[in-house]
Amino acid sequence: MLDWTAILETVAPETLLVAVGLLGTLVGAFLKERFARVAFKLGALALFAAAALAVYYWEGGEAFGGLVTTNPFVNFAKAVSFGVAGVALWIADGFFDRHGTLRFEYPLLMLFAAFGMGLTLSASDLMTLYMGVETLSLSSYVLASFHRDSPRSAEAGLKYFVLGALASGLLLYGASLVYGFTGSTNFEEIAGSEMGIGLLFGMVLMISGLAFKVSAAPMHVWTPDVYEGAPTPVVAFFSAAPKMAMMVVFANVMFTLFGEAVDDWQLIIAIISGASMVIGSFGALLQNNIKRLMGYSSIANMGYALVPVAAGADIGAPSLLLFMTIYVIASLGMFAGILMMRRTGGMVEDISELGGLIRSRPVVTLALTAILLSIAGIPPLAGFWAKLDVIQAGMAAGLLPLVIMLVIASVVSCYYYLRVIKVMWFDEPMEEFQSADPSVALTVVVCGLLMFPGLMVFIGVLGGWTDAAAMGLAN
Amino acid sequence: MSAFIQEHGILFGTLTVVIQIALFMVVLLIALAFILLLDRKVWAAVMMRKGPNVVGPFGLMQSFADFGKFLLKEIVIPAGANKTVFLLAPILTTTLAFVAWAVVPVAPGWVVADINVGVLYLFAVSSLGVYGIIMGGWASNSKYPFLGSLRSAAQMVSYEVSIGFVIVTVILLVGSMNLTEIVNAQGGGIWTWHAFALDHFPLILVMFPMFVIFFVSALAETNRPPFDLPEAESELVAGYQVEYSSTPYLLFMLGEYLNIVLMCALMTTLFLGGWHGPVPLPELAENMPVLVNNLAALAWFAAKMLFCFFLFAIVKAMVPRYRYDQLMRLGWKIFLPTSLAAVLIVSGYVVYTGVQS
Amino acid sequence: MEVIAFWILAVIVGAAAVFVIAARNPVHSVLWLILSFFTSAALLVLIGAEFLAMLLVVVYVGAVAVLFLFVVMMLDVDFVELKQGTLQYWPFAVLIGLAFFAEIVMVRTVGVGTRLEPSPGADSNAEAIGQVMYTDYLLLFQVAGIILLVAMIGAIVLTLRHRPYAKRQNIARQTARRRADATELVDVTPGKGI
Repeated sequence: MLDWTAILETVAPETLLVAVGLLGTLVGAFLKERFARVAFKLGALALFAAAALAVYYWEGGEAFGGLVTTNPFVNFAKAVSFGVAGVALWIADGFFDRHGTLRFEYPLLMLFAAFGMGLTLSASDLMTLYMGVETLSLSSYVLASFHRDSPRSAEAGLKYFVLGALASGLLLYGASLVYGFTGSTNFEEIAGSEMGIGLLFGMVLMISGLAFKVSAAPMHVWTPDVYEGAPTPVVAFFSAAPKMAMMVVFANVMFTLFGEAVDDWQLIIAIISGASMVIGSFGALLQNNIKRLMGYSSIANMGYALVPVAAGADIGAPSLLLFMTIYVIASLGMFAGILMMRRTGGMVEDISELGGLIRSRPVVTLALTAILLSIAGIPPLAGFWAKLDVIQAGMAAGLLPLVIMLVIASVVSCYYYLRVIKVMWFDEPMEEFQSADPSVALTVVVCGLLMFPGLMVFIGVLGGWTDAAAMGLAN
Repeated sequence: MSAFIQEHGILFGTLTVVIQIALFMVVLLIALAFILLLDRKVWAAVMMRKGPNVVGPFGLMQSFADFGKFLLKEIVIPAGANKTVFLLAPILTTTLAFVAWAVVPVAPGWVVADINVGVLYLFAVSSLGVYGIIMGGWASNSKYPFLGSLRSAAQMVSYEVSIGFVIVTVILLVGSMNLTEIVNAQGGGIWTWHAFALDHFPLILVMFPMFVIFFVSALAETNRPPFDLPEAESELVAGYQVEYSSTPYLLFMLGEYLNIVLMCALMTTLFLGGWHGPVPLPELAENMPVLVNNLAALAWFAAKMLFCFFLFAIVKAMVPRYRYDQLMRLGWKIFLPTSLAAVLIVSGYVVYTGVQS
Repeated sequence: MEVIAFWILAVIVGAAAVFVIAARNPVHSVLWLILSFFTSAALLVLIGAEFLAMLLVVVYVGAVAVLFLFVVMMLDVDFVELKQGTLQYWPFAVLIGLAFFAEIVMVRTVGVGTRLEPSPGADSNAEAIGQVMYTDYLLLFQVAGIILLVAMIGAIVLTLRHRPYAKRQNIARQTARRRADATELVDVTPGKGI
């Protein structure tokens, strides 16, 4: 029968998420809308608990006959993604309440999406990988169009769905080619088999599929539209949790599944990475909508994050985790800030609406400034150290052109981050925003604090953790 | 069957199979003529009429007269119709209705193709029946037929689900999808028939309701009253058959009745013990020649099928037509959960007692 | 015998697939598609995978294609108009088609090949599938269920609307209604009205 100890050691967080999700479906079916408010908080608690479980079973294990395998590397990613997903869910209820769309399905879909992330992260088999990706994607499509009466949200969902289905098809086709040429779906067995032209084909297709899920360059077109159209709490989730998870999955696939073939994929990843940086940085220059701007910014940041992936497992793994962790925290804080942009008429999303925010909300402005500067990579904020780590990894792997591009792209992107800061600090004050939900304001401030140099300890501790996690990958 | 062909040589083997099929079809068609008459007679009796009584003694030849009349009429094809699909639809309906009969065992060993997945085959072919109706309704290029065919398709797809689950309960009890084995599992007398399942005592509480659900779903699946909304004459004239006349109409009718009789045969096979009599008489059977035994089996099979058909006919005469939303509600909100729960209970029972394997 | 059957069926599958994209009438396209599905099922029977074949018919032909047909019949889209201009992409289409074809050929020649045993380690196809599905791939089977659940929740979230003005039948209330709830006996004095 089933080996429950192994299952718990390997996929305890996912088990918890599914259990809560199914239970919530059942309760929700009977209680209907009365369940909604509780469901948001319960779902967030379940996500926090799942993050804790991922840390508790840090060493991981193997279960279901090798369909899932975990190690500290993925458990770290799980903990971070579930944690930020939990925060994104916790702060979402006020927004939906005001829009009259407070429905209990939202947290359920979020739980299932998180389950998909966890399963993908744990995957050590092509089939598990695909199933996990599909669970995450299906939930995401629905979440993106959750405001079904708003044409923009519906459009975002539709675009995401059509392109996502294409990407899933690519991933699946690549996976089936890999299976066809190696005769196995197990990561280890595939890694052990010889690299041929057919396998290369499969690998490239799989890379394109995964690139879509992290919104890297040639597959990035959905990002700005979805970021702009989808409800803000959903974007807060999209920009943080799945990014973290899918990036680590990407790395995991490259490091373990195609670990022997570094020479074959290094260039491909480097090109994707460079293209993402360029498109992300230059695309954002002319944006006036802050959500759209953050969409382009995320494309650029995925480009940076792909540098350590291209650098390979030994050099890149710790800096990838460090960079992504700091990026998702900053991104979450930024979107919490966007959630506060509310006037009597509803939400506003134009950058100019932030004018003179320093007069009315000094603390929040300070926090947002720190977050933006950190994403831009200004020393001595956290983002700088993360980027420095990435650059060092790139240099160590001899990816000099890529590192140069990274630096140039960073300089270019400083322009638009600084523009937002300038609007907040020096422009004529606009009408004051309505008071924010306490949880939202708290998230902004905490995320801002995490970026501060006074919390250098945070970087130190985090760096220790990521190193430890990456060690787990090496073993 | 291919084993049989290999055993007897391609020529002889194929010929035997073809003759088997032909025999089966002819017998079925002749039987159908009288079944049609029975349907009308029952209907008439409930209404205290006499029913068809002019052609032949007691009107026995009525169906043949109708047949001749349909054949001799002109085939009218509407000008705007999609000719190929229009003519293909009734042919498809009838062909599929015949094809399904290939796996039905009417007596020990008397079956055209004794395949492993017989139940699934029947289920698959009956699920194809919807195409004839949709195609016919669409190709007529007219509103009433199209509305009728849409209703019919939705109805058939909905009720297929519960039929599927009911079949699963029987498969679980038997442990095989082969129809002959399903019949043989009920050979121990009337108490072992799956409709009663007294040999798995508490299961009668599940299996008898399943039998009823199957019967009602079969009514819906074959568009019989009280679920004949696709051809509800008060709303849709005659549904998908509005534009059909002559032989194509005949083929539709034929396919419909073949499907009804097939459902009766399926009920007999799955729930009423197939060709087995209500009390097993092994001594008597041993002393008889095989042919007599088989004929007796066939007689039992036919009798049970006729009983089921009688139920179909009497329901048609007695029950008023459902409203469409009630029909959908019944299918999705009552039959589906009930049959799903039954699958759960029966599989739990099978695992707990280990009756199978 | 089986080889002949294979070639006949294979030609039908291929031809039907070509007609799916060549047919001018979208409904005809779907009908060709159904023929193609159905014949593929027959091919599966030929290699001994009868359970899969029946499932293909039940699921794809019996349910999915019916919905396809539904949608196509209701849409009334002029596909000829839609298709205009697609012809200029044919070089790409041919290229992609050739690439896929080459890959399939390579899988058969360079790759490890496929094992064509219909029911390894069991008497029947259904048993073999069941044994693998509920043991080795239990996790994936369950996850597939969850994916379907997510799809279901998604469909409900995106489409279910409670219309307050729609009249609904409440059978319980209907049957619980008594005469006293609905009618009242009034003594009307002549010339006064109620």
